[in-house]
Amino acid sequence: MTRVPGKGRVDLSQPVEFTFDGKTFRGGKGDTVASALLANGVHLMGRSFKYHRPRGPVAAGSEEPNALIGTRRGPGRYEPNTRATVQEIWQGLQTNSQNKYPSLKFDIGAVNDAAYMMFSAGFYYKTFMWPKNFWHKVYEPFIRAAAGLGVSPTEEDPDTYASRNLHCDVLIVGAGPAGIAAAKAAAGQRVVLVDENAEAGGTLLSEPQAVIDGVPAWDWLASELAALKAAGVKVMTRTTAIAYYHQNMVGLCERLTDHLPTLPADTPRERLWRVRAKQVILAQGALEKPLVFNGNDRPGVMLAGSAQTYLNRYGVLVGKMPVVVTSHDSAWYAAFDLQKAGAKVQAIVDLRGTVRDDLLAEAKLLGIPVKLSHTVTATSGRLRIRSVRVNPTSPGKVGARVEIACDALLMSGGWTPSLHLFSHTQGKLTWDAGRTTFLPAATPEDCVIVGASAGAWGIEAALRAGAAAFGGTAPTVEHDRTGSGVSQVELPTDLNAGRAKAFVDYQNDVTAKDLRLAVREGMSSIEHVKRYTTNGMATDQGKLSNINGLNIAADALNRRQPEVGLTTFRPPYTPTSFGAFAGYHRGTHFEVTRKTQIDSWAAENGAVFEPVGQWRRAWYFPKTGETMDAAVLRECRSVRAGVGIFDASTLGKIEVVGPDATEFMNRMYTNPWAGLKPGRCRYGLLLGEDGYIRDDGVIGRMSQDRFHVTTTTGGAARVLNMMEDYLQTEWPDLNVWLTSVTEQWSTIALNGPHAAKLLAPLVEGVDLTDEAFPHMSCVECTVAGMPARLFRVSFTGEIGFEVNVPAPMGRALWEVLWKAGQQYGITAYGTETMHVLRAEKGYIIVGQDTDGTVTPHDAGMSWAIGAKKPDFVGKRGMARPDLVAKGRKQLVGLLTEDRSRLEEGAQIVFDPDQPIPMKMVGHVTSSYLSDAVGQPIALALVEGGHDRMGQTVHIPMPDRTIAAKITGAVFVDPENARLKL
Amino acid sequence: MNKAVSSFVPGVLATSTAATVSLAAPMGRLSLRARGDLSALDAALGMTLPTRIGQRNAGAICLGPDEWMLHADDIVPIVAACAAIYEGHPHSLTDVSGREITLLIEGPRAAELLTLGCARDIDSIPVGEGRRTVCDGATVILWRDAPDRFRMDVWHSFAPHLLHLFETGCRELAAEAA
Repeated sequence: MTRVPGKGRVDLSQPVEFTFDGKTFRGGKGDTVASALLANGVHLMGRSFKYHRPRGPVAAGSEEPNALIGTRRGPGRYEPNTRATVQEIWQGLQTNSQNKYPSLKFDIGAVNDAAYMMFSAGFYYKTFMWPKNFWHKVYEPFIRAAAGLGVSPTEEDPDTYASRNLHCDVLIVGAGPAGIAAAKAAAGQRVVLVDENAEAGGTLLSEPQAVIDGVPAWDWLASELAALKAAGVKVMTRTTAIAYYHQNMVGLCERLTDHLPTLPADTPRERLWRVRAKQVILAQGALEKPLVFNGNDRPGVMLAGSAQTYLNRYGVLVGKMPVVVTSHDSAWYAAFDLQKAGAKVQAIVDLRGTVRDDLLAEAKLLGIPVKLSHTVTATSGRLRIRSVRVNPTSPGKVGARVEIACDALLMSGGWTPSLHLFSHTQGKLTWDAGRTTFLPAATPEDCVIVGASAGAWGIEAALRAGAAAFGGTAPTVEHDRTGSGVSQVELPTDLNAGRAKAFVDYQNDVTAKDLRLAVREGMSSIEHVKRYTTNGMATDQGKLSNINGLNIAADALNRRQPEVGLTTFRPPYTPTSFGAFAGYHRGTHFEVTRKTQIDSWAAENGAVFEPVGQWRRAWYFPKTGETMDAAVLRECRSVRAGVGIFDASTLGKIEVVGPDATEFMNRMYTNPWAGLKPGRCRYGLLLGEDGYIRDDGVIGRMSQDRFHVTTTTGGAARVLNMMEDYLQTEWPDLNVWLTSVTEQWSTIALNGPHAAKLLAPLVEGVDLTDEAFPHMSCVECTVAGMPARLFRVSFTGEIGFEVNVPAPMGRALWEVLWKAGQQYGITAYGTETMHVLRAEKGYIIVGQDTDGTVTPHDAGMSWAIGAKKPDFVGKRGMARPDLVAKGRKQLVGLLTEDRSRLEEGAQIVFDPDQPIPMKMVGHVTSSYLSDAVGQPIALALVEGGHDRMGQTVHIPMPDRTIAAKITGAVFVDPENARLKL
Repeated sequence: MNKAVSSFVPGVLATSTAATVSLAAPMGRLSLRARGDLSALDAALGMTLPTRIGQRNAGAICLGPDEWMLHADDIVPIVAACAAIYEGHPHSLTDVSGREITLLIEGPRAAELLTLGCARDIDSIPVGEGRRTVCDGATVILWRDAPDRFRMDVWHSFAPHLLHLFETGCRELAAEAA
C-alpha cells in the first residue's frame, strides 16, 4: 500500500472493494479507480492505441489520455473508455483494462511497438494506397479491427437518461477558487455553480497547505460552500459543461448514479441540462503540460501536479523514490509535498539554469538533490519505470548521462489555460510569447473568463479574479504557491532524435518525430499537421497534446506559434454518452406518435399500422390468417361492391376565414375560387414559387367568407406555415385569418355504392340525393345527433362522403356507422386500400407520385389551373423555359406485359438492349395489385410520357427485364359514372 | 362538444409527492383572430380583450398581436354575438373545442416538472398570465394560475406523449427529493 496516513480526503474507514481485470482491490470512499489502483501500487492500467505500449495514468482528472478502462455493473451496464481518473469506485464495481490480448501484462499487439518505424505519420495514406481495390476489402477492415479503443457495448442500455432546461442569471463553470469567489460575489442573483469533479474545490482540494482569510483551505472551502448553498446558489458536482452554444446556452451533463453502489429507483443515470444563462463565468483552471522526451509514456511517468493531487486529495504516494523533471516552479512544490509525505525524492531535474532561491533553499532543507541545466533523455522499465537517464546541458550541447533509479517520474512543462469552452464561443485568443501560451481575448458572448483559465496563477490571484467579475473583494491567502516556467519543445538529447519515442499525444500515439515528419512533408498549418498525424484528435481532444504539438510544429517551421495556428476545440469537452444526448427520447418516447380518436377501434379490430409523418394510421385490417395482399384485395372489392369505412382524421385541415378569404385562396391555389358557391367543394392544387406541386386537397366553401381547406396528412403543418408566411410577409393587407383545425375534427370517409343508403337515415338537415347534395357538396348538418360538416367527395371513384364531427365524438360516430353498415356488409379499410383505389382512378399522392419537381402539366392536371387568374403562387415558376420544354417526365399508367407487379422506385428505360449504364427515362411511383382492373397497375413518371401512349418501356430488374405498356393514368371508370347515386 | 378523449378520462393522470397532473373537464374553446379597433368585439364578448401577448382576463389569453384563445363553459352565445357584428367588424372566430385538452399541473415542484419539456423560462411567466410555447416538441398554451399551479392546453394527439413525459418526471422529481 502506498496510502499515506493522515493525508487526503478519502475515507478509509468506509472501505470499498472493486475488481480490475478480475482481481479484487480495496480503496476508500472518495477514491477514483485510478487513485485506488495507485494506492495498491498499480500503475499499469492499459495499452496504447497504436503501439499497444503499456500505459498508466499520466493525469488525475478528466484530461487523462491513458488510463481508459471498461466499467461494468451487471448485465447491459458496460461502458468502454471510461477514464479511471474520473470513475469513482463503489462496492462491487467491475473494471477491466483495454487494448490487450491475451493479457495486460503480455500483449501480442505490442509487436507494433517494435515495428514502430513503420507506423509513422501518414502511414495509412502511404502504405495502403496500392493496390487500389485492396482498400475496401483488405486494408480498411483490418485497420478498423486492429485500431480503436475499447469494445463497443453490444447489449441494450437498461439505464434511463433525462434532460432539463434551466435558466439562470449567472452560470459559473468550475468550482475552484475563482468559481467560488465569483459565485459569492454574484450572490443575490440566480447563480448556478457547476464542477465536473465529485466534489467542489478544484485546486483547493490539492493544496490544503493554503490558508485563506486565516482559515485552512479545506475548512474555508467547506464553510464557503455551505454559505453559497444557504444563499440559494445551485451547486452541481459531477456535472460537466460539455458545450457552449450561441447566446449563452451551455450544455451540462450531470452524472447521477455512476458512483453509487445501488441504483436508486426512478433516477436517471445522466441528465443533460440545457442552460440559458444571462452571463457565463468560465473558471475551468489550467491543464499541466507534459514534457516531450524519449520514454515519457512509461507507467510511472506522470504530471507533477497530478502526483500532488494523488497525494493531497487521495492520500496516495505515487512513488517512494520519484524523480522530478521540470521547467516550471510548480513541480518543485510537488517534490516538496512528496518528500514531506515520506517519499525519497531522488532528484529534481530542471531544464532551467536558474531557479528561485526560495525553491533551492527548500530543496536543500528537505535534502533533495537538485540538477539544474539538466535534461531527461530516456527511461527504462517494462511495465513500470525503473530508471531515468539524465544528462547535463549547456547551450548546444548535451553532456554525459547518469542513470537514476526511480519508481516514478514526475514531469511539468508548465500550464496551459483551459480554453475549450471559450473556444466554443468563437472567442478570440492572443498569443502570450512570454508564457508560450494562448490567452483568451474577446468573445461575442456575455462571458467572462477568470482565474487560471485566463492566465492568473495562484489561489489568491484566482480568488481575486473571480470576485472581481462581480465587483467583489477577495480574501488574502497565505502559503500560496505561485510560479513561472520556461516552455520546451522536445527535451535536448544526446541520442538519435529520429528513434525517440517521445510522445506528444498519448491517446493517439503521436510522437514528436511524427510532427516533424509532417512538416518535412509539406504540412505548414497546424490544421494539416493535426490531420496528417492525428495529434489532438483522440477522445481527449488534445487537452495535453495540442500546445506541445503546436510548439514543435512551430519550431520545425521556424515560425511563431500564432502563424501556425491553434486547432479549434469542438464540443463536447469530454466524451459524453449517447444516452445523455437522447434523454427521454428513446423507446416509446423516441418521437411523438400521434393517434386519431378512432385509432383504438382499429387496434381492437386487428389493424396493422403504418407511420405517416408523426401519425400512425391503420394500414390494413387482416382477418385471421390473411396476407396483406389478400386483405387489401378484399377491402378494395368490398368498397367497390358495397361500402367501406375509412379513418381520414389525419388529413390536415385549415379554416380560412375573413372577407378576403376568396382572394387569399385565389392567390395560394392554382384553381379559381371566386365562382365556387357556398356549399360546394373543389379540388385544390398548391404549388411552390418554382411551379412544382407541393400539396393538394379538397376545399369546401362553408359560407361566403369561410373555407374548410384540407391538406395531405404529412403536409398539414408545412402548408399552414407556407400560408402564414405569405399572409404575414407578402399580403398583410388581406383581411383573412388561418386556424389549424386538423384536430378539431374526426373525419370518417364512407365510400361505395351503398354509402348514401347507409348514411342518409342518420343525417338531419340535408337530403343525400344528387339534386339536393350532388358530388362535391358540403354542408353543416347533424349526423347521428352529432354536429357535423358533411362533404360529398370521393378519393376512390365510388360514391363517397366524408363526415367531420368534433374530434372526441369520432369513435362514437364510427361505431354508429359500423353498426348501421352491417346490413350493407360494411368493411373497414386502411391506407393501403385507399392508395390502391385512388391509383385505379389516377388520383395522385403528393410526395409519392410527385417528388418536388413535378408540375401540374407533368401530372396531367392542367385542368386544375385557373388560366384566367392574374397570378397565384407558382404561376410564373410554371412559365420557366425548362418547365415548358418538351421531354419532361410526365405521369402515365403502366401495365406490365407479364402481368407482374412492378417495384415502386424501379427505373425505366426505352431500350433494354443498350449497353450499361443505360439511359434512365423515369421511374415507377406507385404499383399495386388491382382487383378492379384484373391485373397489377402502376403509375410512373416517364420522359415525354403523355405522347407515348401505347408504347412499350422496359424495367430492368436484378433477375430480368420487365416490359410494360404506357397507358393513361385512369384505369377505372374514366367517365366517373360511378359517382352518381 | 368536448367529451372525454378516448385515451384519457378526466381526473388524475400522474401523481407523486413532487407534482400531480390531471385532465381538466371538457370546456368550450374558441380561437379568435381580429385586428384594428377591438371595441365592437369587446362589447360583443362582454369583456376587454387583453392586448399584451401573454396577458389574460377571465376567459381570454392574448397569444399574438391579432390572436386570442377564449375558454368558456358555453360558446353558443359568444358565437352568436360575434356573428352579429361580423359585417361591420370582420374577424375569425373558430371553434376548436374538440381540438385540444387541458392538463392541470400542480404541486410543490410543478414548475420544475415543466422544465423537462419547456425551454422557456418558467419563472418568467407571472401568475395570472400565460404563454404559447413548445413542450417536448408539441405546441402548447401554458397558463400559470399560482406559483405551483399551471394549466397546459395541448392538441389531443400530442397529449399521450406529454403525459408520458410527465409520468416519468413526477417519479423522477419525487425520487430526487427523497
